[in-house]
Amino acid sequence: MNILAILARRLLHIAATVVLVALLIFVLMHFLPGDPVMMLLGDRASDEQIANMRHRLGFDRSVVEQFWEFLKMTASLQFGESVSMKVPVISLIVDRLPITLMLTSMAVVLAVLIAAPLAFIAALRQGGIADAIIRVISQVSLSMPVFYIGLILLITLAAGLRWFPVGGIGENFFQNLYYLFLPALTLALSLSAILLRNLREALIEVLQADYVSFATAKGLMRHTVLGRHVLRNAWISTITLLGLHVGSLVGGAVITETVFAIPGVGRLMIDSIFARDYAVVQGLTMILAVMVSIVFLAVDALQALLDPRVSA
Amino acid sequence: MKHRTIGLLSSALALALATSTFLTAPAHAAQRGGTLVFARVADNIFLDPAHTAQNADIWISLNLYDTLLIATADGKATEPGLATDTKVAPDGKTLTFTMRPNIKFADGSPILVSDVKWSLDRARGKDTGDEFAFLLASIDSIDTQGADTVTLHMKHADPTILQALATFNAGIMSEKLVMAAPGANLAEKSKAFAEHPIGSGPFVLTSWKRNAELVMSRNPYYWKIAPDGKPLPYLDAVKFVNIPDDATRVLKLKAGEVDAVEFVPYSRAAELKADPKLNMVLFPAAQINYFAMNTRPTLKDGSKNPLNDVRVRQALNYATDKEAIIQVVSYGTGTPQQSFMPMSTPLAVGNGPLYPYDITKAKKLLADAGYPKGFEVTCMVLAGSADDTAKVASLQQMWADVGVTLKAEQLESATRLARYAASDYQMRTGLWTNDINDPNEITSVIAYYPTRQSARTGWQSKRVDELFEMSQEELDPAKRAAEYAEIQKIYAEAAPIIFTMEVPYPVAMLKKVKDFQQIPLGNNIFLNTYLDK
Repeated sequence: MNILAILARRLLHIAATVVLVALLIFVLMHFLPGDPVMMLLGDRASDEQIANMRHRLGFDRSVVEQFWEFLKMTASLQFGESVSMKVPVISLIVDRLPITLMLTSMAVVLAVLIAAPLAFIAALRQGGIADAIIRVISQVSLSMPVFYIGLILLITLAAGLRWFPVGGIGENFFQNLYYLFLPALTLALSLSAILLRNLREALIEVLQADYVSFATAKGLMRHTVLGRHVLRNAWISTITLLGLHVGSLVGGAVITETVFAIPGVGRLMIDSIFARDYAVVQGLTMILAVMVSIVFLAVDALQALLDPRVSA
Repeated sequence: MKHRTIGLLSSALALALATSTFLTAPAHAAQRGGTLVFARVADNIFLDPAHTAQNADIWISLNLYDTLLIATADGKATEPGLATDTKVAPDGKTLTFTMRPNIKFADGSPILVSDVKWSLDRARGKDTGDEFAFLLASIDSIDTQGADTVTLHMKHADPTILQALATFNAGIMSEKLVMAAPGANLAEKSKAFAEHPIGSGPFVLTSWKRNAELVMSRNPYYWKIAPDGKPLPYLDAVKFVNIPDDATRVLKLKAGEVDAVEFVPYSRAAELKADPKLNMVLFPAAQINYFAMNTRPTLKDGSKNPLNDVRVRQALNYATDKEAIIQVVSYGTGTPQQSFMPMSTPLAVGNGPLYPYDITKAKKLLADAGYPKGFEVTCMVLAGSADDTAKVASLQQMWADVGVTLKAEQLESATRLARYAASDYQMRTGLWTNDINDPNEITSVIAYYPTRQSARTGWQSKRVDELFEMSQEELDPAKRAAEYAEIQKIYAEAAPIIFTMEVPYPVAMLKKVKDFQQIPLGNNIFLNTYLDK
């Protein structure tokens, strides 16, 4: 099959996924108890105020009409207007998406930078003291909740040692690298633990493979063996795992952004769910679904590059 | 948490400040300049006084939009704001205001009498106003004479109208600037304007990154003169940063990255008070914490509801140790409720804490009501709220002593509200903050039946309804006070709620921040604030 046909088929998959996500998120939001009108008016609203606002915002229409409206809005890429913030959903997302992308990208890079060298050390010294220590540390960081890691980092490195700011974001890209370091590290720690365990296993397996023994027997330098044969083969499953975890990274961003006071889409999502701000939750979910699908596509492409068997 | 973002407040106050400058005059002169960084729990939503309904907006509105009158610091009267003189006709049906000369909006353009008429007409209009339009509902029409006179013609005498004109909802806007905003109609123009508002208050918005930060800078045209002979305010700017997490907000202050933080958890007030770098202030608040009861004979699921019996409700009130709850939940910062309304509300009547803790009385009342062995009752609790959890846990212990088993039902905010609006609950935790310096707002919501079944408790007293309706047009202060005294007495005896406590607003600031004020209605007043460098 040629590459264009594969791509076309994958894009079709993405389109189908997005439509399913649209239906699912609409149904989920509308089946949640409570509605945006009560959240806007609060517990002192009179019956008359509730009825008036429900009518004004169109929540007294049938669910089918509302779904049709949502589809039209989605197709136009406008996603309607936020009822709790009274601004177009698209402008909210455009404002906040870059900071979340930066946060998650930094987290991925940090996770890889932490996981790769440690996995190598652990695999090469399998069963040794270094291996044991690394495995214990990864187990601990994997089992600690994200908000807890975040608070510990805040209290020690930011408020205590004053090496980093206590939450918030900077005025420009370079300041943001500094402001987002701790939150990215928070997100990266549990991810790096997952990657580390997987990569360590893969490395151990590859190190025992015949072609590695053969390469060594051929007299190749150790770093050539490790780089060209071991790493390249061991990486494949880890990259797949990384791709699969991009979705949960966005989930982790929801918590990290709240603890670190970062105005990204994670916090927007959680605030909007609590406010029953249907349009924002729906619009944001659609955009995230598309983005995660694209990441999966990229991971598959990368895998094909690393392992020619995959594209066969 | 919901209450921080939804609903409440209002007020009249920029003035409170003004007066209090002199009352709390600093030992040395105020210094000019500088930017105050203030960390808030929630961001602003919509900066248009006529469409303001959330606390985050209400609490800073008077900094951006000035009003004709300003409430005095004690909240019991008003004093001149944009209007220097107020004449009320003896029958209360005509009010004449003389405007202050040479007043300007923050862009330097003059504030005209036509702007006053336009702003108030818009705020009270059925289609142009919003949730708080009811505050100005007694106005029939407005006209202007010459360059400095505005006349309000009333549908009926309204004892609250002067305080209403001092609330955020009556903020004065520029008709010309709003109408110059892009948009096909007033609603669209209002939306566009509210993104970059230019108002009549001591500060004007200069930048706003939603959910991150909002900066308001000094309005150089503001009319009020400071003791140093130059116009207020002293600060060059106030920068609000949005930090929803309690722990992070306090850490930011301790690290010196912000100058002040609101909503310090009560549990940390003592710790911050002891910090020599900080000034921890508990501002008196027109705010009550209570438990509401569904008083209907049967619950939504058809089961019999013991809370329908007034003796049971009184018994539960007696079985509640308010001092203990004050210690556990507010770490000793609260005071017991003496009326259903906060004691700082005008016409509130207090004769000491209601239903002092008395287990013997409680047991006797329960036995009289036919529940000598108690019963089971369920209370809705806001999931994740430490305060709610602590409140209900204390009640569980206390009520167990009289045989009543209290079950907590953890619900997230929207679900809880939906159940509440449908009266599908037995008990719930409640929090109220006044938005106006008058007893009518809280009474209309909590004690008056026709509009929302007395805050969905289902409790009704025809006498209270009648008294409330009379009080809405009663101009004789003594008669109105008597009406409200009777309402409070009837309500206290019927006990549709568990009277609990009033709690303050906890704000922590670096020592260099001087003369910041949060008034009982919640409004943050930066008019006289300065940084001691």
